[in-house]
Amino acid sequence: MNRSVRTAAYALLLGFGVLIIAATWTQAVAGPDYRDDPRNPRLTAWRTGRERGPIVTADDVLVAVSNPSDTESNLYVRSYPEGDLYAHTVGYTSVLFGTTGIERARTIDLQSDRDSTISGVLNGLLGGDPRPRGLRLTIDHALQRVAAEALGDQKGAVVAIDPTTGEVLAMVSTPGFDPNTLVGATAGPTGDALTQDPDEPLRNRATDESYAPGSIFKVITAASGLDVGLVSPSSVFDDPVELKLPGSSATISNFDGEVCNDGRGVTLEMAFVRSCNTVFGQLGMDVGGFDLAMRSEQFGFNESVPFDLFVLTSLFPSGAELATDPAATAQNAIGQRDVQTTPLLMALSAAAVANDGTVMVPYLVKDVFTSDGTVESSTEPRIWRRATSPATASVLADMMEQVVSSGTGRKAAVPGMRIAGKTGTAEVTGQAPHAWFIGFGPVTPAEGERSIAIAVIVESGGDFGESATGGSVAAPIARTVFSEFFGVSPG
Amino acid sequence: MTRTAEAGLIVAASLLAAVGVAIVEFTRGNWLDAQVAITFIVFLASFGGLHLAVRTWAAGASSLLIPTAAFLTAVGFIEIYRIDGEAAAIQRWSLLVAGGIGAAVLWMLRSSGVAVLKRYRYVLLAVGMGLLLLPLLPDSWPIHGATVNGSRLWVRLEVPGIDRVLSFQPGEIAKILIVIFLASYLAERADSMAVVDRKIGPFKVPEPRNLGPVLVAAGIAFVILIYQRDLGASLLLFALFVTMLYMATGRSFYVLTGGLLAVVAGVVAYAAFGHVARRIEAWIDPFANYTDAGYQTVQGLFAMGSGSLTGSGIGLGRPDLIPAATTDFIFAAVAEEMGLAGSIAVLAGYALFVAAGFGIAIRSKDRFRKYLAGGLTAVVALQALIILAGVLRLFPITGLTLPFMSYGGSSLIASFIIVALLLRVSHEGRA
Repeated sequence: MNRSVRTAAYALLLGFGVLIIAATWTQAVAGPDYRDDPRNPRLTAWRTGRERGPIVTADDVLVAVSNPSDTESNLYVRSYPEGDLYAHTVGYTSVLFGTTGIERARTIDLQSDRDSTISGVLNGLLGGDPRPRGLRLTIDHALQRVAAEALGDQKGAVVAIDPTTGEVLAMVSTPGFDPNTLVGATAGPTGDALTQDPDEPLRNRATDESYAPGSIFKVITAASGLDVGLVSPSSVFDDPVELKLPGSSATISNFDGEVCNDGRGVTLEMAFVRSCNTVFGQLGMDVGGFDLAMRSEQFGFNESVPFDLFVLTSLFPSGAELATDPAATAQNAIGQRDVQTTPLLMALSAAAVANDGTVMVPYLVKDVFTSDGTVESSTEPRIWRRATSPATASVLADMMEQVVSSGTGRKAAVPGMRIAGKTGTAEVTGQAPHAWFIGFGPVTPAEGERSIAIAVIVESGGDFGESATGGSVAAPIARTVFSEFFGVSPG
Repeated sequence: MTRTAEAGLIVAASLLAAVGVAIVEFTRGNWLDAQVAITFIVFLASFGGLHLAVRTWAAGASSLLIPTAAFLTAVGFIEIYRIDGEAAAIQRWSLLVAGGIGAAVLWMLRSSGVAVLKRYRYVLLAVGMGLLLLPLLPDSWPIHGATVNGSRLWVRLEVPGIDRVLSFQPGEIAKILIVIFLASYLAERADSMAVVDRKIGPFKVPEPRNLGPVLVAAGIAFVILIYQRDLGASLLLFALFVTMLYMATGRSFYVLTGGLLAVVAGVVAYAAFGHVARRIEAWIDPFANYTDAGYQTVQGLFAMGSGSLTGSGIGLGRPDLIPAATTDFIFAAVAEEMGLAGSIAVLAGYALFVAAGFGIAIRSKDRFRKYLAGGLTAVVALQALIILAGVLRLFPITGLTLPFMSYGGSSLIASFIIVALLLRVSHEGRA
């Protein structure tokens, strides 16, 4: 009699044993899959509602912070005190539009470790700090603000880099947007309007848009000729009104449609300072398509740039393709036709000249710090590639300094500072030309003196429209940034 | 374990409930408030009252049951409070009433003992059946049935002139009356029903007339299934019949036949009733039926998976996202906020209660008390197993409350009556 009662008891108790196994399976084994299922509504709440670490600039200006929500307990609201100034670099964390910028790239650091995964629990037991880490950017707030003000309403981008370390000192893309308007659950209409805006305010033009480089590419063409030992600054070229291209009806002429010097001959140096297309078209053909492609790849074309944010790969036609097409080689050598680049890579190219031909890996995050402000780890500068030889870099720096002191880049000059640069006016069919300036300073920094390399692009001529040139539109923006950096009045 | 230890554990469980309420308030940014004290006092009054009733009228009773019940009730209450403050306030009143009814049961049986129940077994059966059919009363009557979530298992009493509706689930009480009847019936008939010597082919079967009760059980369960659309109650009653028949006869024939009948009924129901078919499909692949039938199951899985080992912390998860989080899915809410640690504590709590209940059955001197204690324990065990297996996706969702933990006055009162009867049987077993 008791036997069957006992058997029934065991059977039912066995049922609870099975439930314990099922609960263990559901929560510990299959648990993470359920938890991370995109349909789990908790994900949304976690992504936006959990505390994320603060982000500050190099000079400790707060640019992203999580504040406790007024309406929902335990939840946080992400806010961006500087509004649109850091919209593209810092990015945003949004319920509806995902996560972008540094918020996305460094989400592991910015998120709290306070969860119930085994590693989270162990970390808590071992006394680890569960609060999210904060990030200190390499960006200088004053420089960033000045760069944004200088661009103003014009579409474009400014990238400033420390050539010796790769620290990004400023990165601005216009038009911008206020990331605070994309955070909440009601951001749908605002976000949709931004997505559909033909001016593409959500796009980071500094890294995620490519343009024809125009004459700033002459830095790389010149580097190619100098590196292979084909030319020196004093090498003399023919000085025609227009350069006839072999196997093609197309010609290359100078910006003003005139000869570069006197019609009889012109040195490489003078052609660089005056940005003469005829000479650099010829130099490109002299170097040859194969070598020109190889040298441009040394500067980072056709390579993906290692960076915290997504960077569009800059494109240069293949050497094999150009080797048999001198006309295309000449046109690409002056930064037209197929060649496409990003403002970031052009800033790195200017930085290469400033840094004896060596390109550092660019980076945006200087330090990761814990909740009590202690620096946990710092980014060490690393070399990305060698773009050109120190000797060539020195010659290029000298020619670029003359561009600013007496050539097309005079409007980038800062009184009392040795600035080097190159302007570009990239022709685009159907619209006003893009105005470029790349440069750096000081040309020979004193011991311990910091230097800066910069790329500026203003799309479609900016405020100057059809009459815009790199010298008239982009160079003054660079001067404003240089002046702020060196702490002198723009004059 | 002594009565004093029992009192200490009741205080501990009351503190658990109060601390849980305090934590919920902390996570909302509130400091200690009256809710903490009220919760502590209500738990102490309800379980302490039962404890005093045991001391007075059933001093020899097991001291394992009340602390275990108090622990489970406290854990469930914390989640109810966290999800729905208004429901928690009602649950506290239910708890006081249930404690009072539990004590009243002990008082009523103080001199006659449970033996008196045997005398009224057919009355109790009739009342039980009547209660089961009560929800079918037409809507126009003052006492009438009500359909909630597609199942007609509620009864509402509307008192004219008073703007209050009293509603309860008579099935919760009916199951206890049916256990009492079966225990008494089987105590007399078990021997003849245990004779299984007819042969059909290689199978030994009992006398056909002894099969009557099983078929009646299956019939009642099927009627409930059809007319009240209450899968959970019909399955619970059927499993209870089979378990008690097995306890009384020791014949696995009844379990096998019962299981076979259940499978046949399940297949028929699957083919005949859309709501049954939907639930079974949602069980087989809840993610494919995410937007409709599988939604609740999937939300439960999300909650339990998100809880992981140690849970989100009380007040820090989102159990409010699970449909029926305070009733059928209270376990998923506990699993989310208290983690696997909390889930296993709860399951161990039920296992302890079930072991203690069967312990009382085994120690009892006569058949009626054995079957009564075993049957009452089996009701709690089966009800918990059926709904938890549904939440954990071992079985389709059938819709039952989790004894002690779910929000609901009828369920809580029924659970307390079961505890009181078990205490009384335990007392008589030792006397």
